Amino acid sequence: MRELFHEITSNLRNNKLRTALTGFAVSWGIFLLICLLGAGNGLMNSFLGNMEDFISQTITVEGWRTSKPYAGYQEGRYIQLDEADVTFTEGPRWSPAVGNVTRQTGSTGVTFSLDGNTVAGQVSGVMADYLEQNKLKMYAGRFLNPDDLKERRKVIVLSLAQAKELSPRNPDALVGRWVNTGTVSFRVVGIYHTDESNMYRICPIPYPTYKVIYDRSDKIESITFTVDGPKTKEDYEAFEKDYGGALRLRHEVAPDDRRGIWIRNGYTDNMEMNEAQRIIRTALWILGLLTLVSGIVGVSNIMLIAVKERTHEFGIRKAIGATPAEILKLIIAESVTITAIFGYIGMFLGMIACQIMDKTVGQRSVNIGMEEIRMLVNPTVGLDVALEATILLIVAGTIAGAVPAWKAARVKPIEALRAE
Amino acid sequence: MLIELKDVNKTYNNGQPLHVLKGIDLSIERGEFVSIMGASGSGKSTLLNILGILDNYDTGEYWLDRKLIRDLSEKTAADYRNRMIGFVFQSFNLISFKTAVENVELPLYYQGVPRRKRHEMAMEYLEKLGLTAWASHFPNEMSGGQKQRVAIARALITRPQIILADEPTGALDSKTSVEVMQLLKRLNQEEGITIIVVTHESGVANETDKIIHIKDGIIGEIEENKAHTAWDANIIK
Repeated sequence: MRELFHEITSNLRNNKLRTALTGFAVSWGIFLLICLLGAGNGLMNSFLGNMEDFISQTITVEGWRTSKPYAGYQEGRYIQLDEADVTFTEGPRWSPAVGNVTRQTGSTGVTFSLDGNTVAGQVSGVMADYLEQNKLKMYAGRFLNPDDLKERRKVIVLSLAQAKELSPRNPDALVGRWVNTGTVSFRVVGIYHTDESNMYRICPIPYPTYKVIYDRSDKIESITFTVDGPKTKEDYEAFEKDYGGALRLRHEVAPDDRRGIWIRNGYTDNMEMNEAQRIIRTALWILGLLTLVSGIVGVSNIMLIAVKERTHEFGIRKAIGATPAEILKLIIAESVTITAIFGYIGMFLGMIACQIMDKTVGQRSVNIGMEEIRMLVNPTVGLDVALEATILLIVAGTIAGAVPAWKAARVKPIEALRAE
Repeated sequence: MLIELKDVNKTYNNGQPLHVLKGIDLSIERGEFVSIMGASGSGKSTLLNILGILDNYDTGEYWLDRKLIRDLSEKTAADYRNRMIGFVFQSFNLISFKTAVENVELPLYYQGVPRRKRHEMAMEYLEKLGLTAWASHFPNEMSGGQKQRVAIARALITRPQIILADEPTGALDSKTSVEVMQLLKRLNQEEGITIIVVTHESGVANETDKIIHIKDGIIGEIEENKAHTAWDANIIK
């Protein structure tokens, strides 16, 4: 093995141009692949990754204005959901499928004040699942818990932006303090994270507390529930159509009036998202593999020429006792050595390029109307993918070398010696 | 009997069939210094290639050291070439990107001799041929005579039973030619190696002990030439 290695290194050293050309083809192929996959990952992380934060595995129902006349009513009628709809949803008709049902009240605008600082907010009565359903992340303290609801405590969770307004020096210290809304005071139990993207002014308080203080009616803003049972996207769509139609009929809304009663199906949204992600990923890999193919073609091209050029040399080697297996071994080992070394270099440079992308384009953000998003988020390729690609190229390089090597090994020594 | 050919025939089939060797019968004893002489196209190089197991023949028998050389696998053929035969070519056939000593080492590499041992032996043979100073030079830095001596060192290093030389002086000037022939003669006399030289120059053939004339693929006259007077005789003829 060491002998072979010595033989190879001396061959490569003595054929610098050929080595450099082959090496460049390999490095370039793997470099492009890694850059492509890195940029693709970055784009995907920025568009899909951001969205994933807002999709929870639930179905949410909200009432709004009807979009078509139905049952003698004109279009544009406002639909108000109430407790009866919650009972309907929890009812036996949907019982095997519908899991945990939660609800949220409408909201009331208030002004909080503390130590001379004030901030505006929308108080809304929610259940303890609100945190998970809306993918909020806590910054300090805790979220509302079932006991808060059961005992109708006057507790509130503020957003970090609001906390900073009320307690500019030390927002954390707000947890445990009482904030005044003019009529009622709430004790702050927690602060949730806000990014620039969502203009969250919503301040969750326990659902029963809200009902007692702001709205004694049985009106509710939205119903959110989990669904168990449906498996495929079609199953969920069928359930949505079935349930939505029935709910709309209860309010004398056309069964297909999607604006009158609006349903957000987190399950199908998620499936669509995963599907989109899968398609983009596949497309990226296909593009990447095509790039890799150009690298492989480069390698096999050069190997083909190199072997042809060396036919005479192989003739000499055979005349002095090289077996076909020795010739085969020599060419393939050279091919593998070149692709491995230069593949590694290409992979290394590609990963550096990804880092540079991350530091430059990745830091730039664009405004897409509702929110600021970064162009590329973490545009890098995992080491595993990079290594896989490099190994793939080495295997391909071996195969690329093997075909001409096989031909060279089989040529009769006398014919090889005649070649120039 | 080291080499024995019985009715060996060879036809090339490149478009029009060309019957190159038409029934060659030939015996060469161990330790002989023989030349095969003939005009170009007489089949002498084909004969040498068959003797060197570089090429195969169609019919007949070729016995080398009591082994029948026919339908050998490439692997066995390579092994026989490596252990029994040393080649010296007209165009030297050194590997251009290897130094003199690396070229000489190469046959031992294919025998699996360790590198250090290989290098020692190669240096020993280069010294024998007066090339110690040129050991680390590449072929293109050497003269024709030096290159041919490197090639001879490479042929000798496996201690073969036969050296096959195909026009060994063809690319050399007359002075160097004489030196190379003297070298081969010395190897034959001192080491007892069987040497077969293919040539079309009667001057070169005259240096050998036996001259086999080949014409149109048939062995003609076989001259005993112990006194090395064939050349003079040919001139008188």
